[in-house]
Amino acid sequence: MKLAQLLDKTAAIVRRDLLTAIRYRTGFLITAAGTAAELAAFYYLSRAIGPGFRPDGVDYFPFLLVGTGFYTFLVMGINAFLGIVQEAQQTGTLEILMTTSTPAPVLVFLSAISAFAGNTVQLLFYLGAGLLLFGAPLHANLPGCVVIFALSLTIAVAIGILAAALQLAIQKGSALVWMLGSGAWFMTGTLFPVATLPLPLRVVAELIPITHSLDGMRLALLQAADWPVLARQIAILALFSLILLPFSLAVFSYTLRRARLQGTLSFY
Amino acid sequence: MDSVVLESVSKVFRHHPALFNWMGRERGGETRALDEFSLTVSTGKVLVLLGPNGSGKTTTLKLVSTMLLPDAGRVLVEGADTRTASNRVRRHVGFAVATERSFFPRLSARENLDFFAALDDVPRKSRARQIEAMLDRTGLLDAADTLVMKFSSGMYQRLGIARALIKEPSVILLDEPTRSLDPASAAHFWNLVRGLSAQNSTVILATHSFNEAAAVGDLLAVLHRGRLAAYRNIGDSSVEELRSFYFQTTGELDEAHLASRSGR
Repeated sequence: MKLAQLLDKTAAIVRRDLLTAIRYRTGFLITAAGTAAELAAFYYLSRAIGPGFRPDGVDYFPFLLVGTGFYTFLVMGINAFLGIVQEAQQTGTLEILMTTSTPAPVLVFLSAISAFAGNTVQLLFYLGAGLLLFGAPLHANLPGCVVIFALSLTIAVAIGILAAALQLAIQKGSALVWMLGSGAWFMTGTLFPVATLPLPLRVVAELIPITHSLDGMRLALLQAADWPVLARQIAILALFSLILLPFSLAVFSYTLRRARLQGTLSFY
Repeated sequence: MDSVVLESVSKVFRHHPALFNWMGRERGGETRALDEFSLTVSTGKVLVLLGPNGSGKTTTLKLVSTMLLPDAGRVLVEGADTRTASNRVRRHVGFAVATERSFFPRLSARENLDFFAALDDVPRKSRARQIEAMLDRTGLLDAADTLVMKFSSGMYQRLGIARALIKEPSVILLDEPTRSLDPASAAHFWNLVRGLSAQNSTVILATHSFNEAAAVGDLLAVLHRGRLAAYRNIGDSSVEELRSFYFQTTGELDEAHLASRSGR
C-alpha cells in the first residue's frame, strides 16, 4: 500500500470519528465536565492528606495527576480497539468493512490511531488543566517523556489488538479491559506507590507493563530524570513492546480467519 | 472468460449452545448452508440466484466477497482464490448487503460513501465527482447530506447499492437489492444493472422476485438446501415461465398460483 493511500485512509477514519464524536453533542460536554470534577476531587484529596505525603519524592497532586491521566489514556486507548470492533459488530459495519480493499489489521490499526489521537487531546487537556487550574509543578525531561510515551503507546496498541481479537473470538473482549480497569488498576501505582503493596502483589505489579509506564512517565515529567535513571523503565517497556506487538498481531489474524470460517464476524 | 468460479464448495455453520444451557433451550448442532456447490459465471453476465429461505443464496454471496471462507472446495474471483489472495479478490468485488445496518448512523450519505470510497482506494481527485454521480444514479442526491440514521429502508438499500458500485468493481454482488424499493425505483435499478452488464461487469443477484429475475438476468441458478438444483439461461423467458420452473425444481407448492386459479 502506498503512503498516500495510507494517509488518505487515516484521514477518512479520523474524519469519521471526529464527525461522530461532535454529533453526540451532550456526550462531549459531559466528558469535559467529568474531567474537571475529577481533577478538583484529586486536588482537594491531596490537600486533605497534607504536604507531608510525598510518594516517590514528589507532591501528591502531581503524582495523582500523571498517574490517573496517563493510566486513563492507556486504558481508554486499549478500550478503543475493543470499541471499534464492538461498535462495528453492533452497527453491522464490520462485515462490510472486511470486504473493502483495506486489509483488516491495517483497518483496526488506523482506527486505533484515530482513537489514540482523540485520547491524546484529552490527556493534554487533563494535564494542562491540572497545571493551569491547580498549579501542578512539572519538571520535565521532554525527550524522555516522548520515549516513554511512544513505548507505552506501542504496548497499549498491542494489548488493544488482543482485546479486539478476544472480541472477535468470544464477543467478550471487555473482559480484558475490565481486568485492567479493576484488578490491575490499584496494582500499577496509579493512586499510590507500588512500594506500599505487599511483596506478592509487588511481583505481580512488575509484570504489568503499565506499572513501568507510569513510573517512567512520572520520573520524566515530574523529576526531569536523566537517561541513566530512565534506562530501566525504557528497557522493560521496549522488551514488552517487542514481545506483545507481534504476538497480538498473530492472534488477531488467527481469530479473524477463524471468524470468517465460522461465520461469526457479525456476532455480538 | 470466467469471472467467478465456485468449485465443490461446502459451508457448514456449527452452533454451540450456551455454557449453562439448562437456563434456556438453545439448540446445538450444525447447518449445512452449502453442500458440494459448483457454479461458474462468465464475465459480463448477470446471474440470478433463486431459492427458498436458507437455501444458501446469501452464503454464496458472502463466500465470493470473502466475508466467509469455505470449509471445503474453493472460490475464485477473476482468477484469485478467496482463501489465499483475499486482498486481491476484495479489489474486484462490490457487495450490496441485504441488511440496513451497515452504515455509520451519524454520518450523512455523502460522508458514508466518502469513507468507504477511501477504504476502497477510489482516487481522492475523482472521489467527490464519483460520489455525486453515484448519489444521482441511485436517486439519493436530495438526501446526500442527511444523516443516514434518518433514512427509510428503501433509502438504505439505495445507499448500499451506491456503496457497492463506487469503486467500479468488476464483480457486483447484490443481495435482495429491491426488497424495500417502490416499483418505479426497482424498475430504475433494473436498468442500472443491465447497464453494468453492458459495461462488462459481472453481476450475481440473489432475489425472491421472479419479476426481477426476468428483468435483469442472463442466467438462473436455483438453490435448494445448499445444493444447485437447476441452472439455465433466462433469455426471453417470461415471469410465469420462471415461476413455474422454480416451483417444479424445488418441489415447493405455489400457493399464490393455486389461489389465483381457484379464484380467491
